[in-house]
This record gives sequence, C-alpha cells and structure tokens, in this order.
Amino acid sequence: MTQKKPTGQAAGPALVLEGVRKRYGDKQALDGITLTVERGEFFGVLGPNGAGKTTLVEIMEGLRRADSGSLSVLGASPWPRNMALLPRIGVQTQSSAFFTRLTAREHLATVAALYGADPAGVERTLSLVGLAEQGGVRVEVLSGGQRQRLAIASALVHEPELIFLDEPTAALDPQARRALWQVLRALKGAGRTIVYTTHHLDEAEALCDRVAIVVAGAVVALDSPGKLVGAAKAPTRLLVPADRITVERARAFEGVDRVVAEGGSVVLETRAAGPVLAALGEAVGLDGVRTRTATLEDVYLELTGELTGSEPHA
Amino acid sequence: MSAYGALTAASYRASVRDRTTVFFTFAFPLIFLVVFGLIFRGKTVEASGRGYIDYIAPGVLSWGVGNAAVFGVAFTLMQWRRDDLLRLVRMTPTPLTSVLASRYVIALVVGAVQAALFIGVALLPPFGLRLDATWPLALPVLVCGITAFLAIGMVIGSRADTPEAVAAVANCVMVPMAFLSGSFYPLDAMPSWLRSVSKVLPLGYLNDGVAKAVTGRADLASTAVACGGLAVFALVFGVLALKTFRWSNES
Repeated sequence: MTQKKPTGQAAGPALVLEGVRKRYGDKQALDGITLTVERGEFFGVLGPNGAGKTTLVEIMEGLRRADSGSLSVLGASPWPRNMALLPRIGVQTQSSAFFTRLTAREHLATVAALYGADPAGVERTLSLVGLAEQGGVRVEVLSGGQRQRLAIASALVHEPELIFLDEPTAALDPQARRALWQVLRALKGAGRTIVYTTHHLDEAEALCDRVAIVVAGAVVALDSPGKLVGAAKAPTRLLVPADRITVERARAFEGVDRVVAEGGSVVLETRAAGPVLAALGEAVGLDGVRTRTATLEDVYLELTGELTGSEPHA
Repeated sequence: MSAYGALTAASYRASVRDRTTVFFTFAFPLIFLVVFGLIFRGKTVEASGRGYIDYIAPGVLSWGVGNAAVFGVAFTLMQWRRDDLLRLVRMTPTPLTSVLASRYVIALVVGAVQAALFIGVALLPPFGLRLDATWPLALPVLVCGITAFLAIGMVIGSRADTPEAVAAVANCVMVPMAFLSGSFYPLDAMPSWLRSVSKVLPLGYLNDGVAKAVTGRADLASTAVACGGLAVFALVFGVLALKTFRWSNES
C-alpha cells in the first residue's frame, strides 16, 4: 500500500472547465461555466444559495455529469467514475457521512483504507484538524464542530493533490475557524490545490487567491479578492464620533457622497477618502475616526443583488 | 488494510456494538422455536411418523437466516445512502463489489452463528430435535440461501429510502413467504397446491433443502436441486441489485 504523493506543479492546471452546462428539468442549473484553476491555487466559489455552486463543485468532483462542455481535472476526465483520478482528489464529506458506531479514529482509518492510503496518515490528520484527543470518541457523540472537522479530515487523510471543501468553517467557533485557516494555509503552502465554497466573505478575502462569484448558474466575477474590491469602486466609509460633527456639517465636505447617522457615529461615504480625511483632520481632528474600506462582501452583495433583482446592499 | 477488509471491519464493529439488534437477530428465531416447540410438543406428522420439531426447526431456522440476511443488508444500504456514506465510498477508488462483498461475508457469519445457536437449542431435551447424519448437506443450502436473500435485501435496500420503507417492504416479502413455504408448519400436512406455490419461492427451496438434510431424507441430488433453485434466485436478484444500486438518493 504505497502513498501517492502529489506529483508537483508541472503538469498543467488543476481544473479546466469550458462551457459547462447542466439542466435539471426546466431549470438551467449551470449556464456555461468557463474557468481555470491553477495548481497550488486557493480558489473560492461564492454565490447565493441555489446559484449552482453545489452542482458546479459536484461536477468538478465527478459526482455529476455535465450535460455539455468540457472538463479536465488534474488532466483527466472525472466522469464516468475515474478510479485512477479519485485518490488524487479529497472531498469534504457531509457531516452525517460517518460509519455508524465507530470512533473518530476508526472512521478515519476506514476512509484511509478505502483510498488505499498509508494508515499513518490517520493520527497525523486527526492532529491536523485538532481532533487528536477525540480519536477514541464515537462519531455519534461528537459535537457539531468536531463532526465538521472529522468531515474535513476525510478529505485530507490520503494527502490528495486537489481538495474540495464545502463551507468548511460553517459550524466552527471563532478559535477553531482560525485554527482551520492555518491548516488550509499550510496545505496551500505544501502545494495543494484547494477549491472551496463559503458564505464567509471575510474568510474568502483572507484565504483565496481568486474567487468566482456564481449567480444563476453563471460566473459573474472571477478575480483575486483585492482586484474585485478595487474594481468595484465601492465607497469608503469614514466613521466620526457623533459628538464631534453634525450630519449637516459633514455634508459640506467636498467629495462626500452621502452622510448618515449610525450607532453613535456620523458616517461619511466617499470615493475620495484621502482628501476628505485630510479636510476632516483639519476641521475636527482624526481622534476616534474609523475608516472602513470596501470589502469583498460589498462587492459580492452588489453583484448578487443586481443579478438576482433584490435590493443592493446600501 | 484493503477497502474490502476495512468495510467488513466497520460493518462488524457497527453490528456488535448494537447489542439490541444483535440480541434480537439471534433471539427472534429462538422465540419461534420455543413457541412452536411447546405447541407441538410430542406430536408427530402422520405422513412420515417424525416429530413436528423435525419439520419446524429447519423451517424456522431457514426463515430466521433468510430474514436476517434481507434485513441486515437492506437497512445498511438504505442507511449508508441516507447518511451519504455511499457517496463517500463513491469518491474513493473502492469498487462496488468490495462494498457488496463485505456485506456478504457479514451475512454468512451471522447466518452461521444463527444456525449453530438454533440447532444447539433445538437439540435440547424440551425440543428433542434429532439430527440425522446427512445434516452437513444443509450447509451448502444455507450458503446458497443466504446469498439469495442477501440479493433480495440489496434490491430492497437500494429502492427503499427510509427505515420504515425497508421494514414494510421486507416484512411484506418475508412474512407471507414464511407461511407459503411451510416455515412454521410442515408442508406435508398442507394441501398440494401450497406445495406447488412453495416451489416458486426461494424460502421453499431453503426450507426443503435444510429439512431434508436434518431429517436424513437428503442426498446429493436433492441438495443440488435446493442449491440450484436458490442459485437461480440469487442470480436474478443479484442482477437486479446491481441494476437498482444507487450511490446517493439524489441520482
């Protein structure tokens, strides 16, 4: 039973999708998805529920067949079930997918054996996801966060080259979430490719090299979080303590687009943060003034709001 | 460990850690043995002059073994699919045959333990089963029977999506078949049409083969007929099981 080590960065992109379409009945779930994920890249798939993220990822994993378009995963086709490709891919399972009445360690050892992987990976992976002390606990009595970490461990135990994670931090508390970020960064550092879906946009911004925002079965934005935020030209928000300035006075500054009073602050929205800050400093001083630049969340809400016809985020 | 070995170990652990199911899997046929054994105590079948117990014991045993094979695999497949465990297996390079083979070996072990326990109890004085020297001929019949009923259970487990559905369908199949195949009373004492019906049911062949072996009426030819009949059912339902198998509830 030999362990398959990642074969390095040389052999072309991890994922290539061209014009991938999928229809369920009269619903077009995916309407021509084209994207490439490079090896070693940390790639986020974002989008509202029902946008087609799950279908897209399941097609990449080889669990579903695309109606049309072409798809290459680590240089091979994932459909039909590709036995040579499967050990090179790791998929976070549902948090229900545990072998009944086994302990966390026994479950993970079973998964390792199903992959034909080195049993030594079991303890290493349990420690990696912070479950070393829960190894002897039955899967039924693990907490929600522990179950989620065990589900993530199932994707890592055989040291795959390409890792698919589905909202991996959804059930985690803030400490466990940050701990998992470290794990994911280390995996990326080791040259693994990670494709993951999330609703935590701060997390996507912190971790992802690039993100694809999927709305109604199509990619509406695809770039690094930084470039997406920069290109959106969303306003910067300057929060001034309300006892220092009135809304009327704030409106008088040149370059201020909008002023609102919010939770003890007067909020100035501007696309010329530099000059406004300078003027503000002269007029009332900058003590206690906070600056909120646009985030990926602003871009996301703008894009998904427009395209789903709902009210864009103010 | 191979994928097959790992799945077998996982199934074994899941089974033995579920004390209630273990207890009733083995106690269920024994309860029938006690009830029928006491009802028909000391009575003999006119046509053959043998005690009722010699008919009832192989019949109840056959039904108990078949029942355990059907329910065991049907519940497991339904549950593994519902919990997305089969989807997990689907994402590993584990062939479907390893999944099914691990269930097969578990069913054989359960059947062997059931049979040994049951015959052991039936031999005790209150029941007074007499084992004939031909009893080893029951072994190949039991193996073929477990295979056939396992295949039936696989079809049920692949179609039914809830525990309630598994129980309803499996009971609908197994309970009437027990009566129509003479598991609970000697077919020799029944109208001839019922004997004809039992010839188209897998449990009929299992009963007949085991009963003949235990009561010394078996030879290689009769054993071959029982095994052959069961093999046909195993083949038909085995093919059907592979056709109906689903890795997940969605597709």
